[in-house]
Amino acid sequence: MWNLQSRIAAIALLSSALCQGMDLHALPEFSRPDPLGGIVAVDSAGSKFAAVVQVTAARGGYASFHLIAKLDHPADYEVSINFPLTVDVYREWFHFNTPDKKYYPDALIPVTSPYRSKLPEPDNRIPEHTAQAFWIDVWIPTSTAPRTYRGEARLTSGTGRKAIPIEITVLSAVVPEKDAVTLDSNSYGTSWLEEQYPKTLAGLSKNQEPLFKLIHQYHRVFYDHRGTFHQLGYGHAGKVGPEFGPETTGSGVQKHISSWSQFDRHYGPLFDGSAFKDSRRGPRPIPYVYLPINPEWPASFLWWGEPGYEAEFVNVVSEMEKHFREKNWTSTRMEVFFNHKKRYKGFPWDGDEIRFERDNRYLVDYRRMLDKAVPANSPVQFIMRADSSWTMEHQFEELKGIIKFWVVGEGSFSWYPGAAKRLKDRGDTVWTYGGTPTVQSISTKMTLNPLRSWITGVDGFVRWLTISPGADPWYHFGGGGEVLVYSGERFGRPEPLAGIRLKLQRNCLQDLALLEAASQKGSREQIQQEVVKRYNGTRLADWHNTPPALLAKPVLEWNNADFDDALKPYEARFANLDLGAWQRVRDYALSLEAR
Amino acid sequence: MKLLLLLLAIDASRMERDLDEIARVATIMVDGDLCQRIVTARAMESIFRVDPRDQYADSDNYDVNDEAFIRTKKTLMRLSRIVDYPVDVNLWMPLVAKPPRIHVVIRNQYEMSQFWPWGKLHQDMIPEMQSVLTTGRRVTVKQKPGFISVLAPVRNSLNEIVAVVEVVTRTQPDARENVK
Repeated sequence: MWNLQSRIAAIALLSSALCQGMDLHALPEFSRPDPLGGIVAVDSAGSKFAAVVQVTAARGGYASFHLIAKLDHPADYEVSINFPLTVDVYREWFHFNTPDKKYYPDALIPVTSPYRSKLPEPDNRIPEHTAQAFWIDVWIPTSTAPRTYRGEARLTSGTGRKAIPIEITVLSAVVPEKDAVTLDSNSYGTSWLEEQYPKTLAGLSKNQEPLFKLIHQYHRVFYDHRGTFHQLGYGHAGKVGPEFGPETTGSGVQKHISSWSQFDRHYGPLFDGSAFKDSRRGPRPIPYVYLPINPEWPASFLWWGEPGYEAEFVNVVSEMEKHFREKNWTSTRMEVFFNHKKRYKGFPWDGDEIRFERDNRYLVDYRRMLDKAVPANSPVQFIMRADSSWTMEHQFEELKGIIKFWVVGEGSFSWYPGAAKRLKDRGDTVWTYGGTPTVQSISTKMTLNPLRSWITGVDGFVRWLTISPGADPWYHFGGGGEVLVYSGERFGRPEPLAGIRLKLQRNCLQDLALLEAASQKGSREQIQQEVVKRYNGTRLADWHNTPPALLAKPVLEWNNADFDDALKPYEARFANLDLGAWQRVRDYALSLEAR
Repeated sequence: MKLLLLLLAIDASRMERDLDEIARVATIMVDGDLCQRIVTARAMESIFRVDPRDQYADSDNYDVNDEAFIRTKKTLMRLSRIVDYPVDVNLWMPLVAKPPRIHVVIRNQYEMSQFWPWGKLHQDMIPEMQSVLTTGRRVTVKQKPGFISVLAPVRNSLNEIVAVVEVVTRTQPDARENVK
């Protein structure tokens, strides 16, 4: 979309004197500005401020850039945008990042144009704050006529006015609705919502509507950014949050569901898609959900190994299947997933990341009970999911036909060449998992996991935690390796606010969807070769790993340091991303469509 | 308001008596020999392992013998069902270390405890538990606001006190706590 090399007139920006101590300029999306009128150091190599915005984009997606208002002296100002397409304007919050004591923009606060404020921005509390950045999203509906659209951004303050032109060339290409990879954001429970929204949820004991609204808004913010959201509803000893499971009553053969009230309020709008009815992507049921099933629910672990356990499990799961079928909730994959670990002392086996191979037998038992509860011809998509790292290769074979949805450590999965194809060929779904690049990483790193997922042929990638901003993200940030969205409550907005890294990820997914569409029409290998060459000067073969010597040792002799050591050579191939990495891929994706 | 406070106080004092009774029965019902077989020998070897290159070396190797764990957990679960409100009966066992340490070995459905810092594999000996281990007398603890715990000894066939049960409830249950 941004064509840095040829289309932007880059300027050194010593021109503030010409504008009487003020200036307005732009940066491409991957060049994050700082609050002092510069560019964050890690993104600065090759970055240049621009006096004109020129972007090329496909339809059915967003084009994005930063707009920076700079005032040499404290003053009031106004920023406005006049453009013929729909524009979303966000004020960029500059987080003081404790690990390196630098400022980074990430949280985005929606504002309306014209936006009036002053510098230094009072709530950001940066004494030397001279530049306020805005993230600009231009939404390009599929119905947009392909041509160049022109408008301008304007800065006004007491000392003068400055305008810069905005020119967006809309191609005929359309970003496919379906993503090349599912980008999932994971979370646990709802107690974090009470911590992050103390005002909104103050009356939770009397009125749960604000909680359901917030949950739906979290799904919505990830959906709007071409992602999915998972929220695990039970603890390591089996406690199910009240909104995650239907109420049950009775024991043994009498056990059954007594109320769907909270469950349906929570999940109904997500399973029928109505939670997204006003979104630009349109209403669509969520594709995946964790069920509350665990060793303590719906059957009591008190009966484990006895007929009563199976009776309780089958009774309740059968009722769930019937309820989902009657509601026509058949588009969402209902995951039976065990997250507990024996180190948390609730149960005697690991459900998550099984290290001791004998624990697999519990999954076999649950699959047998699930098959008994759910009719073979049910349109409801129950699916057994396992998250795996240590013993994945062993599990792939031992649990063949038992587990149909694998979520595996991205690094160690690379040691098993061909595994993705082998699993997918037998009808399994395969995601990898990992973390989130911190704000002090080069911004293009946000594209690495999505791209690697597409290249290696898995179906999705999970960022294991994306809603945990730390104790004080606003003034003492911890890097943000566990957060992509922030509570808007302090800004009077009881809703999650997307961060810049989530926007970068969304735009990357748009491009991957274009590349996938082109790959389906042409040579996938040829396209992927070109993509990785442009991305970081590698060959496709460099993206495939080989088994390390570690695999010759018994798994119980491995430790995490061995993992890291064995992965280092592979990860080193992706260590030196430059700021233009994704733009070169994007240019290619758009050129393929143009062809 | 005064009446409400009085009712709450009565409830809390009734709970305290209930928990004490459960704890008394737990001392009789929980099998200390079985408890001593829960954590595997291999896990005990690694439980104090500190590896500067691997912060999870201890917990990744934590393992239990299923049968001993399940039988003991079922006993604890039955004990918690003596009353009709949420109660957990947790099992704690001392570890041979200087200074002494202790670890929770079995937790239960409501995930309540006054003593477990979430996620800790083991921790400093808790003075009240040390008292139970030394004297064999039950102790009631109300340190954490809203929590009541009664600690009681668990003996093996040699009449040694080898574990402590924590019978615990909250006066105001939190439905969402520990769902993580």
